[in-house]
Amino acid sequence: MRKSLLIAASNLRRTKGQTVAIVALILLASAMLNLGLMLSTDYKRNFDRCHDRLNDGHVTLVMTGNDTKQQEFLYRTLEEEEGVEEYFCQDALFMVGSFAYNGGEVNTEFVILEKESALSRPVGRMEIVEEGEGKSGVYLPMLYGADGKIELGDMMDINIGSHVMRYQVCGFLNSAMAGSHNCSMSALLLTADRYEELERLGYAPASTFASVRIRDKEESQDFEAALKNKISAAYPAQRVLSNAYGMVSSSRYISQMICSSVVNAMAFFVTLIALVVISSNVINYIQENMKNLGALKAMGYRSVQIVAGLQAQFLGVAVLTSAAGIGLSYCLFPALNRMMIAQTGIPYVMRFLPVPCMITLGTIGGAVALAVWLSARRIRKIEPIVALRQGVLTHSFKRNHVELERARMPLQLALALKTCASGMKQNITVSITMLVLSLVVVFSVLMAQNVIVDMMPFINLIVGETADACVNVHPRAEDDLLQAADRDGSVEKIYLYSSAEVCHVDGIALVATMAEDFSQVNNQDVCYQGRFPLYDNEVAIGAKYAREQGLKLGDEIALTAEGKDVDYLICGFTQISNNLGKDCLLTREGFERMGAFTDMSYYVDLVPGADIEAFRKRMEEGLGSDLNMTINIASVIEGSAGVYVSLMAIIVAGILVLSVAVIAFVLYLLVRTLLGSRKRDYGILKALGFTTGQLVLQTAASFLPAVLLSTAVGIAASAVIINPVVALFLGGIGIVKCTFILPVGWTMLSGAGLVLIAFGLACLLSLRIRKIAPVALLAGE
Amino acid sequence: MKKILLETEGLSKSFSSGGTLQHVLKNIDLKLYEGDFTVIMGASGAGKSTLLYALSGMDTPSLGTITFGKEVISGYSSDELAVFRRGSCGFVFQQIYLIDGMNVMDNVLAAGLLVNRDRNALVRRAKELFRAVDIPERDWKKFPTQLSGGEAQRVGIVRALINSPRILFADEPTGALNSKTGLDVLDTLSRFNEEGQSVVMVTHDMRSARRGNRILYLKDGSVLGECDLGKYVSGDRERHEKLSAFLEEMGW
Repeated sequence: MRKSLLIAASNLRRTKGQTVAIVALILLASAMLNLGLMLSTDYKRNFDRCHDRLNDGHVTLVMTGNDTKQQEFLYRTLEEEEGVEEYFCQDALFMVGSFAYNGGEVNTEFVILEKESALSRPVGRMEIVEEGEGKSGVYLPMLYGADGKIELGDMMDINIGSHVMRYQVCGFLNSAMAGSHNCSMSALLLTADRYEELERLGYAPASTFASVRIRDKEESQDFEAALKNKISAAYPAQRVLSNAYGMVSSSRYISQMICSSVVNAMAFFVTLIALVVISSNVINYIQENMKNLGALKAMGYRSVQIVAGLQAQFLGVAVLTSAAGIGLSYCLFPALNRMMIAQTGIPYVMRFLPVPCMITLGTIGGAVALAVWLSARRIRKIEPIVALRQGVLTHSFKRNHVELERARMPLQLALALKTCASGMKQNITVSITMLVLSLVVVFSVLMAQNVIVDMMPFINLIVGETADACVNVHPRAEDDLLQAADRDGSVEKIYLYSSAEVCHVDGIALVATMAEDFSQVNNQDVCYQGRFPLYDNEVAIGAKYAREQGLKLGDEIALTAEGKDVDYLICGFTQISNNLGKDCLLTREGFERMGAFTDMSYYVDLVPGADIEAFRKRMEEGLGSDLNMTINIASVIEGSAGVYVSLMAIIVAGILVLSVAVIAFVLYLLVRTLLGSRKRDYGILKALGFTTGQLVLQTAASFLPAVLLSTAVGIAASAVIINPVVALFLGGIGIVKCTFILPVGWTMLSGAGLVLIAFGLACLLSLRIRKIAPVALLAGE
Repeated sequence: MKKILLETEGLSKSFSSGGTLQHVLKNIDLKLYEGDFTVIMGASGAGKSTLLYALSGMDTPSLGTITFGKEVISGYSSDELAVFRRGSCGFVFQQIYLIDGMNVMDNVLAAGLLVNRDRNALVRRAKELFRAVDIPERDWKKFPTQLSGGEAQRVGIVRALINSPRILFADEPTGALNSKTGLDVLDTLSRFNEEGQSVVMVTHDMRSARRGNRILYLKDGSVLGECDLGKYVSGDRERHEKLSAFLEEMGW
């Protein structure tokens, strides 16, 4: 053991530069791996901790009306349900509303509660996470204050129904099931005076807010659908809104899921590159130290001791660096956490997580040990005498690559190609690095184009359907709405696009989206296989759900709504992340085979340049109390999707910086190894009259063939596979197929940029050649 | 009247070692002439090789000037010296220093193509030189490590001469060879000198030194004395005695 450690210490002393670069790569890999693991394991569980701490419901439901009879019906229903563990109901105000946020607006269903009563709810308790000096005003979900866009003490206008209320922001709240617009309902807490004022004004109808805990939270979505159906059937005139643990716990963590997937993927790629580099280093070490290895064997060292020395060297570096990387991940985490809270809206207190640490150490250590063992196996075959006589030659005499006598090209290029052709290990390392980075760059370009530059493709994928505005009216006012739209010169297109809950076999809840004619909808990519339903006996269902249930196109399924079962033929598969893939599309007539259709949401496209707010006002004036709500979808997207845009901008910037760092470290190692192994050749060439500039260009150019070829192949291959890869990342939220547009020009430019960066860095790193003096060669140094 | 090829004035070279300054060359004034076979001799540590590096533009002097033809090369940057070396100087090293990864022909052409872009003319000249130094055609595609020491050194001479340099510097060219192959190498150098090639050779071997027509003896960084042996003739006993006497006088 001591002998192995001596070998390791000696190797480390002699390879300080290489060690520094390997340390940098492992540091990056381990920091990202630990970050990714923290995000994908504990961060997600944070929702459960928060949910448990607040003893929140697995199903949350709000319905207009709070008379005793209605509430008694609700209590009776809950008491009769076998799965119910406990529940709590209280009076609330419930109305669609909006407020300005992040350059756009948040438009959601507000559940407005009196502050003190909300904080003392035995089930579905809320908590104040930040409080200012204000004594009279509103408490908002904390995600709106997470990035400082709304601050304590700010005065803000909140649209409640069609009325504007002005409140001072007194604080921010945390609620597991109603703490974000992603929960489909947002809690607003008002101080007692302001709650009474709003109640008196009657801008939001008096309602009942219930939180229900059930024994098996896995059943939450099905329980929610059943409960909602029962209540809707009993009180068809009341508006009922609900959510379930299953949907909320996932939808509040979409950013976390995307971010952890990207970070884990990057960690995998950087680890792979680090392993290739380590492997290449071990092979180089054996070649360059053949005589020393022979001497060690002649002195009595066994192969296993020499390999153990290499293991100790690289494993020691890997484990110590991984530990440092884990430390680095804890330094980076607070910044990432702030970013995440802006989407999740749930406080996360960082703490030491031993499991991700152990996995990180184990994965990196194990991978490095395996790479060293695989690369060092040939040490066993070294015969000491042969090695001491340098009988094991490191140069291959098979071929004199690029014969100068015949090469019809400039001398520098010919010599660069000679170096390139004789350095297969160098080429393999460069190629793997550039292939991986090409994929990363293509992903960055794809995300930049489809999320940052033009967010509509991303929004279409996540949201499903977008238009300029959405108008929801009472069923009796449907004709009035259509006539008003017909008269309004700014309306280009108006079409029904509404949703309701239905149940499939075993009571599994699906969100059904209805349209009169799906050819009118803007996002024709929602149905990615088969086709939209055309007839009343057809259904298109979520691909993720179909996979889980083993359903195929042409199969017949029974759906239930309002107690009536109807069979439908599957004509297409959809992908909408709204309900995490549990969704279906039906024609209006198709839905009406099950029961009455009450949710009249119409999507509206306005003529180019038309003012959406002015249209909204006209509808409010024209439809009066029959208008439930109008949503400025463009503004909502701007407000809520801004989180994704800034997150993606940070991810893209981060992975581009990381890519440059990885290229720099890999090239540093390769150039250093090349200069080390060819120092004598460079001295000879300098003595013969080659200038430093010529040799620098020659060296950098020797990397170009591998860089160019692998980048070209990498970009082309990545362009083909990138959409399926992104779909894989987003599979958890119901996305099966991505059709993001990859801008060819930008992709090619990025590839060219990657090559230029690699060449520039290689030139920069090769400047060490200027330190090689021909006189040192003559002096025998 | 011989034409001056290279001239030094007050040439000095110092090295800092362990905090103390070592003056290896001290104020050397020297003239080297076209067509001469100049041999620099001296005891170990006298500064022979340092003088050769400075004269050949491999190293820069600490003080003084070196004028090559009309060019003052002592103030050149390392890249200017590289350009100067490629066109004007040829080098034969004791350790030969062929590039192992290139075959014999490419070792020569790599140096040649730096100066002459006419590839065909260059290949023709390389072949002529190979024949002149008795390197058979079958060896042209071989790698350096597949040659004997003498063959490799003769390839080194071809590489040094491929650009028809005005001066050929040789640093102990037979130092790593056995006596037979060393003799072959010396014969080759003598033959090229007879054809007009200026040669400057550092050696501590008397047998090698006999090939020169002018012997410079260095001691403690200064030229202690010089001896004119005249044109080399094989088996010239008087020449041998003259050199022996000179070296004895110098304290060899």
